[in-house]
Amino acid sequence: MFEMFPKFFTNQFPLVTYINGLIEDSIINVVKTGPVPQHIALVMDGNRRYAKVNGIQLRSGHDAGADALVDVLGCCYRVGVKAVTIYAFSIENFNRSQAEINTLLELLKQKLLYLSDTSHYAERYNVRINIVGNKDMIPDEFRSDLDKVEELTRYHTKRTLNVCFPFTSRDDITSSIANVANRVLSKELAVADINLQQVSNSVIDRTSPPLDILIRTSGHTRLSDFLTWQLSQNPTSTVVFTNTLWPNFKFWQMMWILLTWSYYQAINAGEICIMTTND
Amino acid sequence: MPIEQDYSKTENGTQPVESDNQDSNKTPTLPSFTANKSSQTVNTLWRTLITPNSPNVTPNSSYYELISFYVYHGLLVLLYFNIFIFGLITFSINRTKLWFFELAYNPSKSPSVISADISKLNKIPKRISVILNLKPEETENGGISGLISDSSEVCAWVVASGIKYLSIYEYGGELKNNIPELRRSVYKKLAVYYGTDNVPTFSIKVPHANAIYYGASDQDIDQQRYKNTSYKPILQIVLLSNVDGRATIVDLTKVMADLTTTNEISPKDITVKFIDDELKQLVGEEPDLLILFQPYLNLQSYPPWHIRLCEIYWEPDNDAVTYPVYLRALQKFSTCKVNVGK
Repeated sequence: MFEMFPKFFTNQFPLVTYINGLIEDSIINVVKTGPVPQHIALVMDGNRRYAKVNGIQLRSGHDAGADALVDVLGCCYRVGVKAVTIYAFSIENFNRSQAEINTLLELLKQKLLYLSDTSHYAERYNVRINIVGNKDMIPDEFRSDLDKVEELTRYHTKRTLNVCFPFTSRDDITSSIANVANRVLSKELAVADINLQQVSNSVIDRTSPPLDILIRTSGHTRLSDFLTWQLSQNPTSTVVFTNTLWPNFKFWQMMWILLTWSYYQAINAGEICIMTTND
Repeated sequence: MPIEQDYSKTENGTQPVESDNQDSNKTPTLPSFTANKSSQTVNTLWRTLITPNSPNVTPNSSYYELISFYVYHGLLVLLYFNIFIFGLITFSINRTKLWFFELAYNPSKSPSVISADISKLNKIPKRISVILNLKPEETENGGISGLISDSSEVCAWVVASGIKYLSIYEYGGELKNNIPELRRSVYKKLAVYYGTDNVPTFSIKVPHANAIYYGASDQDIDQQRYKNTSYKPILQIVLLSNVDGRATIVDLTKVMADLTTTNEISPKDITVKFIDDELKQLVGEEPDLLILFQPYLNLQSYPPWHIRLCEIYWEPDNDAVTYPVYLRALQKFSTCKVNVGK
């Protein structure tokens, strides 16, 4: 149902752009006054299919996906979301062809450097960028740049962007367990003191509030090893599977998800309120 | 140094946050899965308009801030009403669809109908998992008896589809407290489907208690057959709940830490494969397909290790455990392709 909106509104005619901006701003102001999710996770699926459908090169498909991400991030942060976690690269993605891996990594590096650049996003929205995942697997030529991204944004405290690269939840859980075992071995922690807090101490858990919504685009209905631990942390967190391909997932699609989430929160909160007054 | 907010130590936000799992007195509230009455929803929306619960309004807010807040908030509630009406329309469409499916696909308590439906599919899952909800006592098919009858119904469908492994997840673990009733009920249901002289054998496993039960009761004549260790029942049922998720992983961490202090393993030996093998023992295998019989897509703290690649299926606006939902889940599964990163 939203397919008609972007085509009309992304017209480059200045007046249309201006009006579009005004409408977006007011919608954001409206949504802000209700319940807002604190932490959103995104699985950005469908760049390759988008390239295929539109008859463009694979690289342009990934490019379009990166643009969509910038759009959606802006929308989330403006509404008041504290943390966004994105599935940039899975450990399993190393199974792809070397050429595609290189394209993906190069693109990721460029976009992160763009976002962390002082004049752009990170500064404007006060976003701290964390690279989360098994860093040993990152090829050496990218590591210094990614460290730079983290270093540049580490003083930003208001919002967080967790870039999962290269990440799988099972790997994350395993490294948390190994980490606790190491601490026990170095006498830093006693076995009797191990509890849920000690185990859920990965970077995402430490820097971000509990997960509220996990969105996966392009119609696949599985989690593919992404944030399963964080999903089980909050029994009320919602999963949203949409059929839109990621490059087509823009402001209006995101707003619709935020609005419906906020609607159900408002209704459930009302229910709890009624129940407590009856007591 | 940057000031880092440590979310792992604070219970942040309005969401009910799961605290330590060992503290069993505190169970976080799940969203209620029974449909609200429309009048209730309208009433709640009206309340939201007049008493907004927002950090943006404080006693120190200026008049300008207050006025702009209420204007925008009014617009938000107006949007909520639109979503409510939109929801009513989609609800009736979805319910009509489900009602139609229920007429079209009726298993008529006969395994041959089910296996005829299943034989049309290209592939079926090896292991299947369902999330069932304990509904309030006063609703239709509610309470513990409703939950047990739903579970045994699912067991019968699974046997008829030729699947050998079924795990049933119920958040609070009520099924585990009612094992004798569940065993009898599953037996009865299978007898209805297959006839009393040909009831398929089954076992019910409770991984958390490390217990396994065979057949309808321990005095059963079939028990002789189960004593043979090489005998495998036709259906293996595994009961899971909230404690099999994160709490089990925390317990496993304790064991691992203990083993490292006695030098039996080194932290380097803790690999994904190793943990996977351990959790297969402690909780069970990962299912290929997870079916939710609830209107929202919410995983209710399902064991995190066990939802890696499994296909998730749910039907919007459905709150009943019915055969068409089960069949459609299998149909969807038969068309899915798992890439694993590629």
